[in-house]
Amino acid sequence: MPTQRPRPWSRPIPPATVIARALHLAPETFWMVVKVLIVLLGPLSLAALLTWVERRGSAMLQDRIGPNRAAILGRWRLLGFPQIVADGLKAFLKEDLVPPHANRVLFWLAPILAFLPAALGFAVIPFGQSFQSGDRTYHMSLLDPGNGMGMLYPMAIGALAVYGVLAAAWGSNNKWSILGGMRASAQMVSYELAMSLAVLAVFLTTGGYDPHEIIESQRGLWNVVPQVVGFLVFFTCMFAETGRLPFDFAEGESEIVAGYLTEFGSMKFALMYLSEYIHIVTASALVATLYFGGWRVPFVADPGPILSVLAFLAKVVFFAWVFVWVRWTLPRFRYDQLMRLGWKVLLPLSLGNFLLQAFLIYRRG
Amino acid sequence: MFLAFAILTLAGALSVLWQRNLILAGMSLVLSFLGLAGLFVLLANPVAAALQLIVYSGAIVVLVLFVIMLLNTHQEEPAERERPIQRWLGLASAALLGVGAVGAVLASPAVEGLKAAPASAMTLQGLGAALFRDHLLGFEVAGLLLLAAMVAAVLLVKKEV
Repeated sequence: MPTQRPRPWSRPIPPATVIARALHLAPETFWMVVKVLIVLLGPLSLAALLTWVERRGSAMLQDRIGPNRAAILGRWRLLGFPQIVADGLKAFLKEDLVPPHANRVLFWLAPILAFLPAALGFAVIPFGQSFQSGDRTYHMSLLDPGNGMGMLYPMAIGALAVYGVLAAAWGSNNKWSILGGMRASAQMVSYELAMSLAVLAVFLTTGGYDPHEIIESQRGLWNVVPQVVGFLVFFTCMFAETGRLPFDFAEGESEIVAGYLTEFGSMKFALMYLSEYIHIVTASALVATLYFGGWRVPFVADPGPILSVLAFLAKVVFFAWVFVWVRWTLPRFRYDQLMRLGWKVLLPLSLGNFLLQAFLIYRRG
Repeated sequence: MFLAFAILTLAGALSVLWQRNLILAGMSLVLSFLGLAGLFVLLANPVAAALQLIVYSGAIVVLVLFVIMLLNTHQEEPAERERPIQRWLGLASAALLGVGAVGAVLASPAVEGLKAAPASAMTLQGLGAALFRDHLLGFEVAGLLLLAAMVAAVLLVKKEV
């Protein structure tokens, strides 16, 4: 046996390294592939689950039964769970119609433009505590800490999400759709300001803008306690950014048919519909990261990889449920009420919160 | 990577010029901004890339598209009277500006500094310090100008009661 190699039994080999070796990959590469899969498929599958939660949850809140007919092999109904699969199959097999007066380029581009930002947004969010394996540190976020982009990244990607709506609205060449697109763009610009200011206040108290730093600074006390105003503003803005009730003016089915979605059917519709739910997952993850300690567990200083991922997942699922809950509880606002709320309530509140945090830091010295 | 982003930027910009459909032209502008953001990342300045996307793609172009949708103009309107000299003057002034900008960048002392040591990655903290410590006066003047523009816009648009 050659002496220069370390003896294999000197240290337990971590399981990830074993799999990586079996696949002839360096552990870093293997971990990168795993992370890409988690970050892409995690929100996607959560979003698919959310469609089921939305339908069953709304039924629960309204004292109905909800979807319960779809069954695997005609036998196992599993609380309407197979409905997800049935819906997906239906969307794939349906005829793909393009209205004759539509702008074909934009009409084809719109679902892609809606889906891509939704799928990209999660990349920077840490979904668990970084852990040591062997002599390497593995970070549980696609972009490692210190990438310089930090929490600006989800905001930048989120800003691009509106183009899917705009492309759909204009491409459909339909008055309802264009009305929906106009509402979406006005709403986006109005709520972006209040949201950014709320996030800036978090940057201010953290002294950094990397999500790992933000979570680290919430050791002991979550941001939601000192910045409850910021949290409320941010969460409200998230409803507007994801286009959910009570702010779903871009769709507003009782006013403008289905807004920008009116002309869309089959898989194009399914993609745009799904991206809304991915946005909800990302928004919940952002709320958890910024205000609820990300992967932190109360009263546990060092939760470790498994517990931290579970804690993060629990928080994300909870906030996603709040999104569903609010949708089936509150009626839609009027459009002018939305604008008034955005500019005259949320923006001053957010600005005030920002100034208060700055003042507190100044007092502390 | 540089080539890919540069081509993306140029293709977007050229498409803005040639595209007759206003909304598609706006979308091309966003494509161009995306390429520009990629170039910023390659230049080790992710903050500028993020701000480019947030400010320009996220706010300004959205507003422009909003106005286009509000006016409901599908196509660029043809000019009432064609004046070929405008085209040549435009080309000449663009070329002059381009040459001037490249010359100014190459002549600036910062280029010599870059040769000595590669620029370190920009952070938000660095940006804040640069804005509020090194260029405070310029920043405040810009803020005042924007405020004045906003007040003027509100005053002009507001209907007589």
